[in-house]
Amino acid sequence: MTSRFRLVVVVGSLTLAGCGDSFHAGPIGYTENAQLGIDLKDKPKLQAAVTRAMANLYGPTPQQIKVPAGSGLPDGGVHLTNLIQQGEGDRTEVRPIALPRVDEASGQYMASKSTGKLLGEPQEGGYALYRKHCLHCHGVDGAGNGPTASFLFPRPRDYRKGLFKFTSTPTGAKPTREDLRKTLKYGLHGTSMPAFEALMSNRQTEQVIDYLLFLSMRGETELGLIAEAGVADEETADEAISDTVAVEIAQSVFAKWKAADSQVVTPETPRPPSTPESIARGRELFLGLNKTGNKVECAGCHGAQGRGNGPSFIDEATFTQVVFRGDPSGMPTRVEALTDKQKELWKASVDEWGDPLRPANLTRGVYKGGRRPLDLYWRLAKGINGAKMPAHLGLIKPDQIWDLVNFVLALPYDPTLLKGATLPGTPAAVPAAAPAHAASPTTSPAPAEDPRVAVRR
Amino acid sequence: MRYWPLLFAAAAVFAVGSFVYSPFDPDWWLPAGPEGGLTSVSSIGRRIDSLYILILVITGVVFIGTQIALVWATWRFADAPGRVAQYFHGSQRLEVIWTIVPAAILVFIALYQMGTWADIKFRSSAPKIQPLAEITGRQFQWVMRYPGPDGVLNTGDDLQLVNDLHFVKGKQSLIYLKASDVIHSFFLPALRIKQDAVPGLTIPVWFDADTQGKYELVCAELCGWGHYKMRGNVTVHGSQSDFDEWMGRALNEQNRDTVAAVGPQGR
Ligand SMILES: [Cu+2]
Repeated sequence: MTSRFRLVVVVGSLTLAGCGDSFHAGPIGYTENAQLGIDLKDKPKLQAAVTRAMANLYGPTPQQIKVPAGSGLPDGGVHLTNLIQQGEGDRTEVRPIALPRVDEASGQYMASKSTGKLLGEPQEGGYALYRKHCLHCHGVDGAGNGPTASFLFPRPRDYRKGLFKFTSTPTGAKPTREDLRKTLKYGLHGTSMPAFEALMSNRQTEQVIDYLLFLSMRGETELGLIAEAGVADEETADEAISDTVAVEIAQSVFAKWKAADSQVVTPETPRPPSTPESIARGRELFLGLNKTGNKVECAGCHGAQGRGNGPSFIDEATFTQVVFRGDPSGMPTRVEALTDKQKELWKASVDEWGDPLRPANLTRGVYKGGRRPLDLYWRLAKGINGAKMPAHLGLIKPDQIWDLVNFVLALPYDPTLLKGATLPGTPAAVPAAAPAHAASPTTSPAPAEDPRVAVRR
Repeated sequence: MRYWPLLFAAAAVFAVGSFVYSPFDPDWWLPAGPEGGLTSVSSIGRRIDSLYILILVITGVVFIGTQIALVWATWRFADAPGRVAQYFHGSQRLEVIWTIVPAAILVFIALYQMGTWADIKFRSSAPKIQPLAEITGRQFQWVMRYPGPDGVLNTGDDLQLVNDLHFVKGKQSLIYLKASDVIHSFFLPALRIKQDAVPGLTIPVWFDADTQGKYELVCAELCGWGHYKMRGNVTVHGSQSDFDEWMGRALNEQNRDTVAAVGPQGR
């Protein structure tokens, strides 16, 4: 072999190496919930029993997905992968799914013009789409720990608790499919969750929802199994976490999801028009000045000026210092460096997932859960799941919730609404004149203070 | 080798051939309207296309000329038994000619395109009309704010959407372009409109389209890992009343305060 020939072989094979699949990482696999190792620390048999039950129920890897019967996923979840198994025994054949192509406008199947045959459309499947668009933030098992997750604030959602922040259903209940669809299509304004409407067809959107429901149900089943194993006896591990028990736990998870659609919260009274009177009533409620005994005191968290800096939360400077100054993994160290009083506040300012929370700055008009009056009604009436925003329905009447909605919607466009306002029980920040002005929010603002002037033409 | 020139000639013929073929390819690189076609659907786009074609013709002619000269020279002066190499020191006249000719072409193009550029990009050329919307690029979406029924931006009745651009065919539309984090680039390929969105600046951008239909809006700046997600739907309405009807529906949805029948479940 001449040296020139050898060079050609070496360079050629290096070039071609880039064309094959050889550089791809190995198959993607689920990781176990860290809770498994914590709750069942000295119980290896129970750990193994949970792992086995999970593999039996949902398949050992994302490539070998199993969807337990009764999941409520469309078509039993066959569209989760882009592959479908057909036939039985020796004749089993695994092949890519191709569904007849549907015209999105008319909803009709499309046929080839020359042959008249239905046109097939290869399906990516929920798993493939999730891998492409979602995995880098939300992680392989939906734990919110993908490679880009640490760079984001707020952190991406961890689906494994089956808990979602912005829903149309009561506190703690599952979101409806429509809630998830809305989040996926239009994103969550003010977070890193982008809008996917222009990136995916309607059918693809549904497939992604299927897969995220699958991950969510899977994660919650895993937590259920760990809890069950936690109270079981190591010696009888296999009986304690038997197939029957595992299926029962999974079925109880599915039942909660299936109930969501019938739980949507309908406002009990229609929204009153956004009159100055309604806005003023909302303002009183916001500041906790309402004398009817219904104390909501939004200002305690959102601040007397609605800027998201109320005394119930850690102050903004400390928050910024801990969350944004330095490597995200160093956050616990930075929390440790706080004073005891601050630490106390910090502990009260994290969500169900342990991630730091910040009350919304309401003067900016950015609403993560949607800006429709209905969305704001839901946020106020039922709160935000897993976060500190509580449900207010019951504390105050539906009418009062609507007054608050009208106030919150008006605030970004009328900064005089909360000018000089103070929390009850604290001395007025600006004496005499300013509170009087603030008490009459309906007076038209002076032109110089009007932010609209700058763009008015 | 006597036959090397043929290889050069084949490469040149292939290059020219693929240029000639490309307009007939379904993936023609000048995207146009929903029905395809070779030209842009906007008046500005067609002016850019004509500049593009002009430059393509000039460079094409030069390319063909130089390739012919190259192939001819390598063929004519190829190595042959008994032929002796000659050394010469070049020609000053030739050097001057092939410097002046390209320079003249460049100056011509520079002057010829100036009016088009000014009409597309100069602030002074912006149409004196109500803005259609204010569009803010952020990682990773286009946040759009249309003036509501009062016709004034940044008031309580604004229509706020993401990745959804609507305007009326045959009418100049003006947007204010902003960026809230890094540099993005507002790109309407079918309209040949591309403008960087720069944090801190409000940049007017104007365009029109004469064919009703659906187009796409993309971000043409590599603005981070989610850059490819910055894609928007563009809808060109056939008439103002069509547009108003859409706007009314969108505003109704934005003002929704009752639970409608839950949407289609599953597939
Ligand atoms: Cu971008």
